[in-house]
Amino acid sequence: MASRVGCFLLAVLFGASCKVITSSDLMCTEKEANRTYNCENLGLREIPDTLPNTTEFLEFGFNFLPTIQNTTFSRLINLTFLDLTRCQINWVHEDTFQNHHQLNTIVLTGNPLIFMAETSLNGPKLLKHLFLTQTGISHLEFIPVHNLENLESLHLGSNHISSINLPENFPTRNLKFLDFQNNAIHYISSKAINALEQATDLSLNFNGNDIQGIEPGAFNLKTFQSLNFGGTSNLAVVLKGLQNATIQSLWLGTFEDTDDQDLTSATFEGLCKTSVESINLQKHHFNGFSSSMFRCFTGLQELDLTATHLQELPSGIEGMNSLKKLVLSANSFAQLCQINAASFPSLMDLYIKGNMKKLDLGIRCLEKLENLRKLDLSHSDIETSDCCNLQLKNLSHLQYLNLSYNDPFGLQDQAFKECPQLELLDLAFTHLRVKALQSPFQNLHLLQVLNLSRCLLDTSNQHLLAGLPDLRHLNLHGNHFQGGSISKTNLLQPVGSLEILILSSCDLLSIDQQAFHNLGKMRHIDLSHNRLTGDSIESLSHLKGLSVNLAANNIRIIPLHLLPTLSQQSTINLSHNPLDCTCSNIHFLTWYKENLHKLEGLEETTCANPPLLRGVKLSDVELSCRITAVGIFFLIVFVFLLIILLIFAVKFLLRWKYQHI
Amino acid sequence: MKGFTAALLLWALGSPRGGGGESWPTHVACRGGNLEVLYQSCDPRQDFGFSVDQCSKQLEPNLNIRFGIILREDISELFLDLALFSQGSSILNFSFPVCEADLPKFSFCGRRKGEQIYYAGPVNNLGFEIPVGEYQVRLELYNQDHSTVACANATVLCS
Repeated sequence: MASRVGCFLLAVLFGASCKVITSSDLMCTEKEANRTYNCENLGLREIPDTLPNTTEFLEFGFNFLPTIQNTTFSRLINLTFLDLTRCQINWVHEDTFQNHHQLNTIVLTGNPLIFMAETSLNGPKLLKHLFLTQTGISHLEFIPVHNLENLESLHLGSNHISSINLPENFPTRNLKFLDFQNNAIHYISSKAINALEQATDLSLNFNGNDIQGIEPGAFNLKTFQSLNFGGTSNLAVVLKGLQNATIQSLWLGTFEDTDDQDLTSATFEGLCKTSVESINLQKHHFNGFSSSMFRCFTGLQELDLTATHLQELPSGIEGMNSLKKLVLSANSFAQLCQINAASFPSLMDLYIKGNMKKLDLGIRCLEKLENLRKLDLSHSDIETSDCCNLQLKNLSHLQYLNLSYNDPFGLQDQAFKECPQLELLDLAFTHLRVKALQSPFQNLHLLQVLNLSRCLLDTSNQHLLAGLPDLRHLNLHGNHFQGGSISKTNLLQPVGSLEILILSSCDLLSIDQQAFHNLGKMRHIDLSHNRLTGDSIESLSHLKGLSVNLAANNIRIIPLHLLPTLSQQSTINLSHNPLDCTCSNIHFLTWYKENLHKLEGLEETTCANPPLLRGVKLSDVELSCRITAVGIFFLIVFVFLLIILLIFAVKFLLRWKYQHI
Repeated sequence: MKGFTAALLLWALGSPRGGGGESWPTHVACRGGNLEVLYQSCDPRQDFGFSVDQCSKQLEPNLNIRFGIILREDISELFLDLALFSQGSSILNFSFPVCEADLPKFSFCGRRKGEQIYYAGPVNNLGFEIPVGEYQVRLELYNQDHSTVACANATVLCS
């Protein structure tokens, strides 16, 4: 006791220093036993003794390690990933990682590095990723080159680098990604690009550098996986500099907070001799969008014009014959026909999502796009009373259609007759008006995924889902059923091939025993966030190997006869239910403990009753209801013994009395 | 003895950082003739700096702000949730994407965990007049994994 008081007194006296000790006693979080640990934000000054020697992935950011040297991590020789983000590291001394042969990623982001020793990165046999983002580097000679032969990505963003000339002995053979974001690079010389010649499929990121000049011929006959010049103010200079290069993906977008010049046909002239597969021009302004704007993009396959303030595209745009993917999202078209789709005869993917104006689908606007496979028209305030055969005329190869987050749609019988090849149809959060007895999805023989969440459906229409023989995934989240109940005859009857069914947040009170009787192929059912009781489990009795989500319902007691139904499923989530932890539910509680491997959300599966156990995890509840039977047994034995004792006492007393007469 | 232990426990809980009871100071984001905006970080890990260039109840469109923070998370995707309350009742809730994979609106999109960010520029807001009154605003910035990037409780006093 005395020592404890002493410790308290010491704690009071040396409040500050004790606090440091307590904070270093704070535990790292174990994400994967003996392998992965997170020790971020703990104010640590060293590797805690509690970390096992077998640690492989260590997140150690936001601690305090002014100097790192060969003793700092010496115990953890199995490290493969080490994150030292913002640890106030000034010095990386000789041989810091000498014994870490497995190490492949070192993150030093946000450290005020003063000096890295020549041999500071020696040791790892396959060092692949090095993050030196925002470490104050101004010269590339700062990086020790001795062990970088296997480097695949080098991150040098947010530094003070003005020249990308790599030191002569810098190994680039395995380099795939070189990141120079947000530096002060204004000029790219031939010498700098030539130094990267050994790298194949290289991606270079110059985002946030205002490039003012590229040496003529610098990119001559060079091949790149991707080049990013985001936020550059003078695109014409950049594009001229890229002449005779082959580039898979070229990102030339700008941003809300970046001043840029208007783009004209002349801007792109430099690209006439360059081969580019995919180009992004997001957020730019076009000055007089002419039909010859893209005449230099011959062979272009993907064009992204997101948020480019477009109200229409001129007809007869040249050079777009081989375009496969076009993104026109976040623009201001009033009518779909204003994109003049005929200019893009080979188009397979078209994205017009998040249109800033109410978009009118018009009639036959996309009929020239015979090869279209994917169409995204979500978030565009589209409203239509009779969809979608005239609007989607001639799109006979369409496989993916997204019309989610729009205004009310009226759907008639066979509303998607023009797109018989549809495999995925997303109508989530779009109010659908379907007249009674009509089947809008009729004849979609190949449809596999149908998202109808929050569509305010009339679920009493038994024919709603008729004609979908191959439907595997149906989402009915947030739709309401009459009387809060799914009856024996319901709209799910025609979709017998369903494998995944989402019925969450449907305000359900009950499900008929026979409601799913024709759905024999189901693998997953989500019934969470309803008001179902234990009895609804009966409807799953003919299904096996299912993953069942019953979270956030009104399940209190699960009777004995329903436990085999649960036992035959593969995973079950019963979290956030007002479960009963009294003896009236003892069969389920026993079953629960025996089947913990099948259960999900164990942490959130707690008792609601009795009040004494409220909030206690079900897996921690120890109930022994058989105690009454055992108790009775002992009570009988005890009473029996007492009687015997009494008889003996009386006998003894009488004998004693007789002896003394 | 028990009393002493309890007192110590209370002291330990009440001391800064130990029990997590400390809150960040309240800062002034802007103070004009008839408008005052105060904010306090509700991220227990750190404070941040924020100011608005122009401060009047007639809110101009496309305001310029200044914002400084250390990123605790990657922000290849970043979302803003805003909840506006007046006299304890909720008036407005909305969510706004700041950075998305297919539309990085601002130049800071895609910056990494551990980077220090200073942003001075427009926020692309609508202009409107703030009615007289006192408002509470809760702002939360979070990334693709729903991890908090910044959190603020703000008070807007308009007279």
